[in-house]
Amino acid sequence: MHETIALAKKAGKNLLEPEALRLFSDYSLPVPPYELAETKKEAVEAAERFGYPVVLKVVSEQVLHKSDIGGVKLALGSKAEVERAYDEITESVEKKVDGAVISGLLVRPHLKKGIECIIGMTLDPQFGPAVMFGLGGIFVELLKDVSFRVLPMRRPDAERMISETKGYELLKGMRGERPKDIPALIDCLLRTAEMVEENPDIREIDINPLAVYEKGAAVLDARVML
Amino acid sequence: MNPLDAVFNAKSVAVVGASQNPEKTGHIILRNIIDGGFGGEIYPINPKGEEILGARCYSTLSEVDGEIDVVVIVVPAKFVPGVMEEAGKKRVKGAVVISGGFSEIGNEELQEEVVRIAAEHGVRVIGPNCQGFNYTPNHLCASWPLVRKQGPIAVISQSGTVGATLEMWAEDDEIGISSFVALGNKCDVSETDLIEFFAEDPNTKVISLYIEGVKDGRVFMDTVTRARRKKPIVVLKPGKTHKGMRAVQSHTHSIAGKDEIFDAVCKQTGIVRANDITELYDYSKALGFLKKPAGNRLLIVTSSGGCGIIATDTAEEGGIDIVGLSDGLKKSLTEALPSQCVVQNPLDLTGDTPAERYKESVEIALAEGKIDAFLLIFGDPIPGACEVVKDLKSRTKKPIVVSYLGGGEIEREEGKRLHQNGTPVFQTPERAVRALCVLLSSL
Repeated sequence: MHETIALAKKAGKNLLEPEALRLFSDYSLPVPPYELAETKKEAVEAAERFGYPVVLKVVSEQVLHKSDIGGVKLALGSKAEVERAYDEITESVEKKVDGAVISGLLVRPHLKKGIECIIGMTLDPQFGPAVMFGLGGIFVELLKDVSFRVLPMRRPDAERMISETKGYELLKGMRGERPKDIPALIDCLLRTAEMVEENPDIREIDINPLAVYEKGAAVLDARVML
Repeated sequence: MNPLDAVFNAKSVAVVGASQNPEKTGHIILRNIIDGGFGGEIYPINPKGEEILGARCYSTLSEVDGEIDVVVIVVPAKFVPGVMEEAGKKRVKGAVVISGGFSEIGNEELQEEVVRIAAEHGVRVIGPNCQGFNYTPNHLCASWPLVRKQGPIAVISQSGTVGATLEMWAEDDEIGISSFVALGNKCDVSETDLIEFFAEDPNTKVISLYIEGVKDGRVFMDTVTRARRKKPIVVLKPGKTHKGMRAVQSHTHSIAGKDEIFDAVCKQTGIVRANDITELYDYSKALGFLKKPAGNRLLIVTSSGGCGIIATDTAEEGGIDIVGLSDGLKKSLTEALPSQCVVQNPLDLTGDTPAERYKESVEIALAEGKIDAFLLIFGDPIPGACEVVKDLKSRTKKPIVVSYLGGGEIEREEGKRLHQNGTPVFQTPERAVRALCVLLSSL
């Protein structure tokens, strides 16, 4: 069992985003650099180290859907913008979520969107852990264009679960677009599967979005429920 | 040896609750065992009877001198534990509990008692609350309706009616079944035990499954993965919609997981998933009779232009290649066929064609060698279809699928003979093509 899971389990909590990201890094999922800032000063220092623009996100046990309550600010281009975002996020979260305890703000470089994919994991009452894949936005929400595989999962399973979605055409490159890094996406699916197999306490994973680029991919947001 | 072998290949059967009354299940099952031609010993058990259907009646199981392999139990639920105890002492190998009144109405305790007694004596239990089993190679129809025709399909079903429907279609079509087993409440014998048995059963070529839920998901996956190396498996599992799932729960109390997950399980294990009873039958038929073609190039030979088009659309949608004819093949066909024939794919022999013309055309196409499978569509009454296909089958191992329609009495006769000859016949071209798609995607 991974250390972050052991600790969270002991405390009877789910993983906070930085903990989930640490877990993912240890399973070689493509996690972009990030820092947890506990003060405004630390947030600015982190932003300066990464270089602008950056993203700020609230980290709090009580907050499940960060964007809905003003807990995320994207594309912050200067020190002043980071400082203002810091205040706005803390104020908004404290106002909108009763008794929210803010552990800090996660700072990371603002990355290109690429093609937004989703990797999920759920527990089926009959077949146990299953990994889900789909493209973000309307593909998942409107078209329900997702695929599943039950564990254990092998490389051909991962390949097919991508190619059987309609969104696959987009990943291959449509209308003159260059193809995206599908092998990197396959690795992400297999590493997620491996992580789930080695940590049976995980009940649910939601990597949304996972940005897929022409070269490589990046976990831009992650939730892990125990 | 699989412990269920002693059940299916039983040499003696007792029916506890056998009845004189022809309307009672205890009468019908006994009659089906007798009329089905079971060659072993048959013991009706009923304290009140002296003789039922010409067989000597015994008042209890212990009164029987000889060995009993299988006991079919048709008495009210509360008497079942007592009968099971007696059966255990008699060293019976398997019990089929037809009676209802157990976990399906919340009577879990009674069911557990039966399971406990059976386990103590090493008796395997099918049911309770089920429609029994039929194993044609042993002429043992401990079920209803009476179906005798032996064939390649083993039907395992959580619904008596779905199973019986497949049995009857297969009999009417002269295809037959190797077996039908009703799962009922699955208190002991489950779908995986049966899949394991039929995977090894030399009389079964394809396993056809109707389930509403599985007993244990992981065991199911492991079992079908192993079984798939030996035989194809087709499954119909309903409960795709929200309300369908609710109906599943009230019918068999199965846990209905997400349908997408079961779909994934099918893809990962290579099980063919059918969407309805017709598909379950069609796919079982195709997989029971034919081997997977080497490629996806199909030649359609038809007497009906319209049906050729329908087949073409279905094929294109399903990833089958309605391959263009080479110049050489076109030339040979044009030389051999009358001028009204449309020489392309689909190859339209037109309405007045005799069966011989199909043979000629396929032989010419076979010589060219660039086709992997054939669909012969016989529209209208064309006698001799069976002879032609039989002849072609002796020349090629490539799959030949037939669709016969609009042919009245001749169609019915030819269809049966084609089935007897091991060629699947479908009533519509689209059903034939879909079955071919399944054949192609099978592992």
